[in-house]
Formats: sequence, structure tokens, C-alpha cells
Amino acid sequence: MRSLRVLSGVLLATTMMPVVMAAVLADVEIPSDEASLQRGAQLATSVCLGCHGFKYLRFGNLQALGFSDEQFDSLRAGQDLDAALDSYTPADVARDLYGVVPPDLSLMAKAREGGPHHVYTLLTSYYTDESGVTDNHLLPGVRMPDVLGYSSAATPGERTELERQALDVVAFLSWAADPKVEQRERLGYFVLGYLVLFAALLYVLKRRIWARLG
Amino acid sequence: MASTLLAWINRRFPFTSFVRNELTDYPVPRNLSFWWNFGFLAGFVLLLQIVSGVFLAMHYKPDVNLAFDSVQHIMREVEYGWLIRYLHSTGASAFFAVIYLHMIRTLYYGSYRAPRELMWWSGQVLLLLIMATAFMGYLLPWGQMSYWGAQVITSLFGATPMIGEELVLWLRGDYAVGDATLNRFFALHYLVPFVLCVMVLIHLVALHHVKSSNPSGIDLAAKDNIPFHPYFTIKDLFGMVVFAVMFFAVVFFAPETFIEEANNVPADPLQTPPHIVPEWYFLPFYAILRAIPDTLGGAAAMTVSVLIFAAMPLLDRSSLPGGARYRPVYRAMFYLFVMDVLVLGYLGTQAPEAWVVVVGRVATIIYFSIFLLLPWVSKIEERWLRRRGLPTALQATMASERRQKASGV
Repeated sequence: MRSLRVLSGVLLATTMMPVVMAAVLADVEIPSDEASLQRGAQLATSVCLGCHGFKYLRFGNLQALGFSDEQFDSLRAGQDLDAALDSYTPADVARDLYGVVPPDLSLMAKAREGGPHHVYTLLTSYYTDESGVTDNHLLPGVRMPDVLGYSSAATPGERTELERQALDVVAFLSWAADPKVEQRERLGYFVLGYLVLFAALLYVLKRRIWARLG
Repeated sequence: MASTLLAWINRRFPFTSFVRNELTDYPVPRNLSFWWNFGFLAGFVLLLQIVSGVFLAMHYKPDVNLAFDSVQHIMREVEYGWLIRYLHSTGASAFFAVIYLHMIRTLYYGSYRAPRELMWWSGQVLLLLIMATAFMGYLLPWGQMSYWGAQVITSLFGATPMIGEELVLWLRGDYAVGDATLNRFFALHYLVPFVLCVMVLIHLVALHHVKSSNPSGIDLAAKDNIPFHPYFTIKDLFGMVVFAVMFFAVVFFAPETFIEEANNVPADPLQTPPHIVPEWYFLPFYAILRAIPDTLGGAAAMTVSVLIFAAMPLLDRSSLPGGARYRPVYRAMFYLFVMDVLVLGYLGTQAPEAWVVVVGRVATIIYFSIFLLLPWVSKIEERWLRRRGLPTALQATMASERRQKASGV
């Protein structure tokens, strides 16, 4: 038992850290339902791909999100199923335009502290000051423009709609960074269930064998 | 037929006697607690790492332009590649967790004492080999933390007097961590585990010679020993499955726990991450490194902080058996040490602000003081305990050990 306590202490100590550091990020629940993922995929392919790529995703992978045939055909716009989701702006052009190559988004949801919360906060932290300059609270001076138009949202209703779009985008980014999550967790329940049962049987067997010692 | 075959083999290879001596008749103290499970678990994790590692190597490419992509290829396109990789990355952490618990048990119960010094020392070599393997393996995904971690740690060798610069160049094979470094780290990361297996064998041969220690701290009389099989095969197997439940819970439901976010960004030699944090199992030693203002001093202190465990059989001068069980002062020192290591581990995660440095220095002084004061403390403690009168349970234990030695069993 004591060993369990030590181990859980170590585990806790290591898992607590990102939570504490991510405190400034918006505390939203990242959706994972099919509708959100589909809307996110549409935003990603129509907006994000303008500058960023998803080089580890292929168009064929998007079929896993449950699109109808027509939806999927319009999404892939004639691209090959095996084609990667590359940016519409080639890297060298982007470097000339912005001075940097916009980062690849395949792993973005796991590549920043706070993961999807970081991206969500970034997308919804744009503002315009009195002099008409648009900037970002989370990453001041960030070179990415306010693609969702959050800084020019006039009404709370408009802002809520943009926040929903941001949530859809990060839902898609989370899936893109970990497309096997569903398969992994489904298998995980079987494996853990089997092991718990196996452990219980071994415990009974152990008791029985040790009982011979009297 | 089977018995004829067995006889044929036994004339040429001591199969039956080996199984009998090392398994079915191998005597193990019956009073072992679950703290004695971790050696077996370490063996299990080693096997897991080798098997998953071999399969990863089939798909991985040790090339600075391909390494990061090949890991994503494993994660996304290789059938169950994500499982193989998460087994391996979680396995590294599990290995250290198990090894550290194994060491904590040895320290608490004084299992390093005569005649088990060579077990402790071969274990120390195993620890160093595991650390080296883990360090080199961490470079392979070629993420930002991989790159900068290797850059920082290899640069420490530059503090070596006289040959520092040449040594760093020799280790990296280039002026900075690069393709040459990645290639050799991959080669060595694949090689060292097999050296490790040989060391495990030596560790086991020593174990089967001196037999297992036990909570009482003395060698038990024959009647208190039971055969390894079936009693400990079933006990170790049960422990292994309990361990597997925890291990697979991480693999399937929180596999990114031990993967730094920065390591999901490809290595970029032109961009240093805001702060470079090693894996959790190196954090206490990393905190000691940073606590010393001088690079050479820091690197030396970090090295000594790992190697100093080997001195335990020499530093502990008490003749009382049972480790911390019957020794209140040693027990207090043990818990202080464990807490101190946890504090150091926490400090290792923090950016080196003023308070982190101050607390780090205090914790470092405590870390080394515990070892260095032990020869005197253990002597004085024993004198005090004997003057006060030893607990009856301990007296009985020591008397039974004396009787056994006298009767020569």
C-alpha cells in the first residue's frame, strides 16, 4: 500500500504542473462531438489552411469524422485522399510575407502548455485599442492576424458565435493531434477490465497457494 | 520419451538441477512484503522496453530530417504504432518509478549491508546504464526538449578540466547536437539495454548466492524459508498484474503525461525553449546541478549525487539488523532524505528564480549531509540504543541469528 501512495504522489506531482501553469488560459470544455469536429474541419480547411499546414493529416483521414459523401467531396475540393493537408501558401512565400513560416498545426493541440486551451485563448484574445491597432492579450505582437474577427465583434451575440467557432477549431485540432484517441480508449477499457479480473483471480490463487503454509 | 530426452539434456546441460536450485527449491524468506516485488517488476519493464523498442526501431529513422516525421508516422500510420510508442515512452517512466522504489526499499531495510554489497553495487551500475539509455532515448523523437536537453547535458562535459571542449566534440560528433549525435545515440540506445541484460544476470547470480534480504534484516533459519516456486512465482505474478493495471491506465488514458508539450515541436537549433526541463526522473539531480553556481562544481555534484548511493555499505556503521525498522534516527534520516529528494524534484521543474536557488542549495546541503554524517550518526545511534536497551523483538532476532551462526546452519 505504501508503494502505491509513493507512486501516486509522484504521478500527482508531475501531472499537477501543467494545470497550475495553464491558469491564465480560458477554462472551457473542449468538445469532441461529431458536429463540432465537422464544423472545425470545415473551418480548418477553409481558414487555417490559408497559412498553416497539417502535414501529418491526409484528406482521407478526415473521413473518420463522419461526413456525408457530398460534404466530404466539397471539403477535399478534388484533393487526392492520400494528399497531406498542406497550406495553400507555400513555406517560402509565407517566409517572404510574414518573416516566419506559420507553424504546422498537426500537433498544435499538444505542442503548447495548456494544449487546446492555449489555442482557444489565443483565438479569443484579439482586441483593437483606441489607435485602431489590433493585438492579442495572450501573445502580444503575435504575427497571426485575427482570422475569426474577434476584435471587431460588436455584440455579445457575435462574440458568443465566434467563441463557438474557436471551440470547433480547437476540437478539430485536438482530434488532429490525437486521431487515435477513440480507438485507444475503447481498447483501454477492455485491457483494464481484463487485467483487473486477472488480478482478482491471481489474488485468490495466491491466497490459496499460500494457505498451504498454514 | 520425455524422460529420455531430459536425461540426454541433463548429461550435457544442468537443466533439472538448475530449475531445482534456482526455482523450485530456491529458498526465499517467507516474510517478504510487497516491497520485495520491485526487482521482478524492473525485469518485466526491461523486457517490455526491449520488445517495444525493437518494434519502434523497425519504423523509426535516425536522421535529423526524418526522425520527428517517422515518430508521427508510427503514431498515425503504423498499425497499433501509437500503442507501441506509448508503451515505450510510458515504460521509461515506469522503469524509473520501479527502480527508485526498489532502491527506497533497499535503503529503508538496509538490504545493502554485508553480504549484499555487490548486489547494491551491480544495482548502481544498472541505474547508471538505465540513466544513460533513457537520456539517449530521449533525443530520438527529435523534439525541442530532446534537442535542448541533449545540448545542455552534453555541454556539461565541457566543464571537465583540460579536455572539456574535445570531450564534448567527441560525444556529439559535431560542434552542436546534430545528425551525428542522433545517429550515435540511436546506435547506443539500442546497444546498452543488452549490456544491461548482462548486468541484470550478474545481479541475479549474486542474489541467488547471498539469497534475498528480508524485513528482519537477518538471514532466516531454514524453517523460515519457502521455495520460490510456487509461492513467489504467484506473488510476483500478482504484483506484476497490479502494476500492469496502473501502467496500462497511463498508456491508454493519459499517455501524454510524461511527454513535454515542447517535445511535440520539432527540434529547432535556432530557438531555445523558454525553460528546459528534464524528464521527471532526472529532476532531483538536475536541481542539484543548478544549485551550485559553478558549472564544473555543479556537474561534479550531480555526478556524485548519483554515485554516492554506492557508498552506503561503507557509510552505515551500525551493526543492528533490520534497517530503519529498529533505528529511529536512521528512520528519521530516511524520511528526511525522501522528502528532500521530492523537494529537489519540485525545484527542478521551476525556473531558477532567487528563492528556487536558495531552497535548492539548502536541499542540496541536506542531501549530501545525510550521507556524509551517516558514519557518525549510525555509530552514536547504536551506542544510544544499546544503552537504552534494545527492543525485545530486535533482541530476539539478533539472538536467533547468533544461534544459527553458532550451529552453523
